[in-house]
Amino acid sequence: MLAVQLLVNGFVTGCALGVVAISFSLIYATTKIFHVAHAGIYTLAGYLAWTFVSHGVPDIAALLLAIALGALGGAAIQQFLYAPLERRKATHLVVLIASLGLLAVMQNIIAAVYSANILQFPVPWGSRMVAAGSIRLTWTQLLTAVLSLAAYAGTMWFAHRTILGKRIRAVASNPFLAEITRLQPQAVYIYVLAIASAIVCLPGVLVPLDLGLQPYGGITPLLTATIAMIAGGVGSISGAFALSVLIAELQNLSLLVIPGEWSIGITFFIFVIFMLFRPTGLFTKAR
Amino acid sequence: MDFLFSYIALAEIYVLLSLSTNLLVGIAGIFSVSQAAVFGVGAYIVAWFLMNNVLGFVPAFLIAAAGCVVLNILLTLPALRVSGDYFVVTSFGIQLLATAVFTNWTTGTGGANGLPGIPPPDLFGKALESTGQIVTLCSAAMVLSCVAFWLVMRAPFGRMLRAIREDELAVAAAGKNVLRAKVSAAALAGAFAGIAGGLYATFLSFVDPTSFDLDASILMLTMVVVGGARTLTGSIIGPFLLLALPQILTLIEIPTTIAAAARQLLYGVLLIAFMLFRPQGLAGEKL
Repeated sequence: MLAVQLLVNGFVTGCALGVVAISFSLIYATTKIFHVAHAGIYTLAGYLAWTFVSHGVPDIAALLLAIALGALGGAAIQQFLYAPLERRKATHLVVLIASLGLLAVMQNIIAAVYSANILQFPVPWGSRMVAAGSIRLTWTQLLTAVLSLAAYAGTMWFAHRTILGKRIRAVASNPFLAEITRLQPQAVYIYVLAIASAIVCLPGVLVPLDLGLQPYGGITPLLTATIAMIAGGVGSISGAFALSVLIAELQNLSLLVIPGEWSIGITFFIFVIFMLFRPTGLFTKAR
Repeated sequence: MDFLFSYIALAEIYVLLSLSTNLLVGIAGIFSVSQAAVFGVGAYIVAWFLMNNVLGFVPAFLIAAAGCVVLNILLTLPALRVSGDYFVVTSFGIQLLATAVFTNWTTGTGGANGLPGIPPPDLFGKALESTGQIVTLCSAAMVLSCVAFWLVMRAPFGRMLRAIREDELAVAAAGKNVLRAKVSAAALAGAFAGIAGGLYATFLSFVDPTSFDLDASILMLTMVVVGGARTLTGSIIGPFLLLALPQILTLIEIPTTIAAAARQLLYGVLLIAFMLFRPQGLAGEKL
């Protein structure tokens, strides 16, 4: 029975992780920037929501406010960091180091303002249990699964059915052609950063509802999400989401045999296997 | 006086780490945030041998250096197999995995409490106990390593490494063995990190996981970036400057609870600012 409970937990974690993965994938596939600072936005969203909730803002409004601020933050990162670097013809390495610097800045501002200790959300409904047979879930977990699946569906719809989504995919597949057909890649990059940052705020708020907030807690989910993105095939939204669920399931099942503090080892092991046998990922189309 | 001496010794140890990071990131163009992991392995190896009275300082030190050479080659090999960004993931993964091992493998590393009471280094049967003697030892190690770095960089091998960074394909087309050059660079970087680890463990007589975490790797990267990538001068300026900065921070009234965060925040700001306005650092070459 423990195994079934772990499978269900793994599914919930995997859905949240999947949303991180698809948002990172959106940025990476379009701008080609390895946006490490995404982990900072993820963490920041949780702390913003916590602040709003502690000041008496209704829970849903707090979530929406955090998402809106996250989107603004993402747009600002592109406008004031990545775009100037691009204008200076900075190499890939330089952009990566700048992004890492930004992550350090965001994490440590959070640590300085809120202290490095774990913070719990003051929401009593979050830990209330729902039981189905012998499977028990918290309301938070249920909400995480539902909203994450909705975010996945929404992203798929957005990327394939809306004008902006198509424009983003056009820029992603050929920035040079997009430039000469006046699709304005630079403007698209700002939209992409804003949208992806908004999306990542969802797990950024929901996951800490269960586990609590920690200023340096964004790196591991981001790393796991990027592994899922690579294993799923860069550019494939469904691939990233599916592999996130798979990795989270394997991590949770591994708890049956290995203590939890080694789960980063499991994740990494999966990555190495993929790198050795299928470095292009599972869901890549033949080119 | 002791305070000045320990600042110098620590800075000299970090010069070795900067050389190591510079070789990989600046010269070979392999982004790495896992140098702290290699550094840590070197430190723990020396600590273990000395604390259990298995070997003297010199043999333990040599074993640590050799171990780190092998380890760094193993860690960098994926970079030669997978392209740029995939290695970023590998590098982050290795660092997080190393932190997990340092923290959770209590029998070998003392876990989060670390290993206290490491005996001082001994040379030819004579223990070096005063800070002055240790500074001499560190200075000797630093000078030797700097000379080694300088010799390597002006040798044909060094020129080939620079050429690889500029245009890998051209070097391969000229009939040079690119793979062997990169592996050799990684080996040398590993040796520097291992030596630094051994000195660090015996100098502080205490090791714990926080000295070898992601923040430490970011610090090394900041030192290289601020000092200047790809030059010997840069790798010497960086550590001396960046280790002096926290002392300046103590002059400003900052509560001790946020001192660590403030320091890391400063490093992050420096990373961003240098990438935006002076990617070559104070005394480096174009990154």
